[in-house]
Amino acid sequence: MRERRAKVVKLNVINEPKDSYTGGKSSLCPGCGHDQISNVIVSAAWDNGILPHKIAKMSGIGCSSKTPAYYLGQSHGFNTVHGRMPSVTTGANVVNKDLTYLGVSGDGDSASIGIGQLIHAIRRNVDMVYIVENNGVYGLTKGQYSATADVGSKKKKGPINETQPIDLCAMAINLGCSFVARSFSGSKKQLTALLKAAMSHKGFALIDVISPCVTFNNNDESLRSYGYVKDNQAELHSVGFIPHFSPLEQVEVPAGSYRDVALHDGSTMRLETISEDHDISDAVQALSALHKADADKKHVTGILYFDGEKPSLDVDLDLHDTPLVEMGEDLLRPSAEKLEEVIASMRG
Amino acid sequence: MTFDSNNFKGLSLSQDPQWQPPQEGGRRSWRNKMSKIVNDFTINIATANGTGSQSANLILLQTLFDMGIPVSGKNLFPSNISGLPTWYIVRLSDKGYQAPGDRTHIQILVNPATWEDDLASLEPGTVVIWNTDSKMEMNREDVVSYPVPMTKIARGLNPKLARMIANVVYVGVLAELLGMDQEVLEESIAKQFGGKAKAIELNAEAARLGRSYCAEELTKQDDYFVEARDIEEGGFFIEGNEAIALGSIFGGIQMLGWYPITPSSSVCEGIISWLPKLRTHEGKATYAIIQAEDELAAAGMIIGAGWAGARGLTATSGPGISLMQEFIGLAYFAEVPCVFWDINRVGPSTGLPTRTQQGDLAMLYESSHGDTKHIVFMPGTVEECFEFGWKVFDASEKFQTPVFGFSDLDLGMNKWACRGFEYPDEPMDRGKLVLTQEQMDSIENYGRYRDVDGDGIPYRTLPGSGLDPILYRGTGHDEDGTYSEKPEVYYKLMQRLGRKIDGARDYLPAPIIKEDEKQEIGVIFYGSMENSIKEIEDIVEEMTGKFISTCRVRALPLHSEVEAFIEKHETVIVAEINRDAQLYGIMRKEYPVHLLNKLLSVAYSDGMPPRGRLYAERIVQALEEAKI
Repeated sequence: MRERRAKVVKLNVINEPKDSYTGGKSSLCPGCGHDQISNVIVSAAWDNGILPHKIAKMSGIGCSSKTPAYYLGQSHGFNTVHGRMPSVTTGANVVNKDLTYLGVSGDGDSASIGIGQLIHAIRRNVDMVYIVENNGVYGLTKGQYSATADVGSKKKKGPINETQPIDLCAMAINLGCSFVARSFSGSKKQLTALLKAAMSHKGFALIDVISPCVTFNNNDESLRSYGYVKDNQAELHSVGFIPHFSPLEQVEVPAGSYRDVALHDGSTMRLETISEDHDISDAVQALSALHKADADKKHVTGILYFDGEKPSLDVDLDLHDTPLVEMGEDLLRPSAEKLEEVIASMRG
Repeated sequence: MTFDSNNFKGLSLSQDPQWQPPQEGGRRSWRNKMSKIVNDFTINIATANGTGSQSANLILLQTLFDMGIPVSGKNLFPSNISGLPTWYIVRLSDKGYQAPGDRTHIQILVNPATWEDDLASLEPGTVVIWNTDSKMEMNREDVVSYPVPMTKIARGLNPKLARMIANVVYVGVLAELLGMDQEVLEESIAKQFGGKAKAIELNAEAARLGRSYCAEELTKQDDYFVEARDIEEGGFFIEGNEAIALGSIFGGIQMLGWYPITPSSSVCEGIISWLPKLRTHEGKATYAIIQAEDELAAAGMIIGAGWAGARGLTATSGPGISLMQEFIGLAYFAEVPCVFWDINRVGPSTGLPTRTQQGDLAMLYESSHGDTKHIVFMPGTVEECFEFGWKVFDASEKFQTPVFGFSDLDLGMNKWACRGFEYPDEPMDRGKLVLTQEQMDSIENYGRYRDVDGDGIPYRTLPGSGLDPILYRGTGHDEDGTYSEKPEVYYKLMQRLGRKIDGARDYLPAPIIKEDEKQEIGVIFYGSMENSIKEIEDIVEEMTGKFISTCRVRALPLHSEVEAFIEKHETVIVAEINRDAQLYGIMRKEYPVHLLNKLLSVAYSDGMPPRGRLYAERIVQALEEAKI
């Protein structure tokens, strides 16, 4: 296949074609926002030049959690149990810190059954990307409201939702999450830049992506329909990403005001001001933007909060540079002499 | 609230042969003959939790042990930090009996809260050493009474720490009364307070004061004595949980994910305290420890570690295993190695959190929904806690499945005499790992879940290796790991998984069998009942004149030698510490009918460690009912 298309195939910085990053055929509903996110994952990983097999795809249970089968076919993955992907990723991450962990979850998975695990993964600053494909409904069980459904929103069938939603971004900011962003599956450019930045970050990166459910929640009365989100998206800034392998000085400087944010792997996130300046190191400003948008029934998108200094879990654990999984018996089993010493100390 | 530690329900107490009816002329005259009782009695110490009595009790235990006397200690403690009653039972037995005895011979009364009940439950003739400062009455005329102003003595030494030191005063009194070696006692105090000179001196002085009070103010009126025995070289005391912790470290644990729960926390805390001493490289950790937010997360973490190619372990108790069920099924179905230790406490529900039971066995064997079956290691001694501590990892990686270690509060949290640990005699078995392209090429028709070798165990690659990546899943999958709902695919997969675990039977630790020539009566048991079986055997023999063979099961699925043992014997009793006869139930499910006809069950659980006489009597009763 590579040979046949050799003339037109574009290669990334590590000479891999985009095909190396694609996956199987999606079985989701045609037009599902999740499929657009899968495409963004393929593009972002390819653009960032990450070796496909050095990525680990993690998910829980639900429509969103099925998607790891549809991208990165050369990566190992784990489709775990409902809401409990964060703990599995945590365990894998600390024994092999050299992989890029890409978690995909949904609003049912993350805001209900799995909210505890999400909270604790954030608290520990596990080095992973955590995408919430957020549509406000449970799809696989045929359209029940989830805990992120907006007040006053109405899905295709059933009453208007009157229950207060959980804003995962606000929650994450309050927990001190080191990278908090919101995006929309229809904003491909913004989402791609945010995902690339998230993959270049060391620590927990939450991207809450509004991803309309075309089957159960894409009607006019829904606050999470394509039409509504498109018309009511409030962008904090325009997000650009300059990879570590592209010299920053060769990138054209924007005409208006902007902020450059240095990322762990040497890449840069370039945030161009649209109307008001947003300081991503200011949690209060971030929360204020969320509350303001909420009051206006808008969806604020962009990077809300960022802290590049917070040590990630693997750093906190003071692990040896060699990932634990690469250690052999010589390092893992103490010697017979050590056992004798232990026993001698017991004998006192 | 009160725990009747002296008069265990369900026991038919034998009369103390030494006891004589009280005679006129006061307490002293109740005894009219002297015959020494040496190294064969039980001391019960009733104190309150959090008063430092545990140190005093361990000093007593260590002293007796270091004198070469076969001794065991049972800590009956409440689910509480401070204030609730605690009993410590020390049994001395030249025969090596380690279960709590039938009755108390010497009672230490310190705790006013349980004073009346403790006192009332004593048999006539029991020795009572009591604290006269506790403002409680001594209203028994038929016991041997030794009043000691423990608090006053302690206060004279250090008013602030009087409550703590008072406990060591009774150790001193006992030392004098029973004839314990002062030098050994002081060495034990030094061991207990390892290096803390002030504490050592204070406690040693308290013991000396207790001793001299006894010598000067009390007259010995009882027959109990201790005598030093030949010391077995190199023995020491250790809790089963710490032995598991050390075994895990020598088994190459790489990831510990845990959530605190009694009685398993000390497994994890043991691992946490020993790892930095034993497993650093260039000053950095070769392990990761995470205290999880709950048991579910702990299970998820070790499954993540196992999926990535590392040795992950968690330790918990029944409530934790209940919470982990879903994850256990995932690890079984997706074939991810991981190790779970269950230190059994009394269920159901929160149950009796600080008492012991073998109530989780059936749950472990078939954990999670759907058809599952798991490998369970069942140590019965602290030496085996260490050995199985490393072996569970090999089994888990060899069979690519969750493996359970099964212990209980009795074995896990009490101190047991230990001869030492044997260094692992085989290299780590990482199982069928494909690490290079060359290895991959040598496997014909590789598929993550394809039974290439016919043993039900497939080959696996690791994330990051670039070799045959798949998306692991808890959903139905074919031999290549691709989602499938096809009937024949599911059927074949489940048959293979069944065959895989079944194939572990004779790989796992064989039962320990002690056969009587006649092969008439066999007793099958497991786990911590090892510490009562000798006494059970002796009492059954005493009651029936018959010798019994014993078979200690050490793993599930059952080793073929267990079946052979039943085949050989006329009648076999399965003795266990639970209500529902859980191992017996497993046998009924798996064994052919002609073997089942031979099987009888003795299952009993009241939270206490198994007492020899109680089980012996029930075994005899079962045999009588079956007209053997």
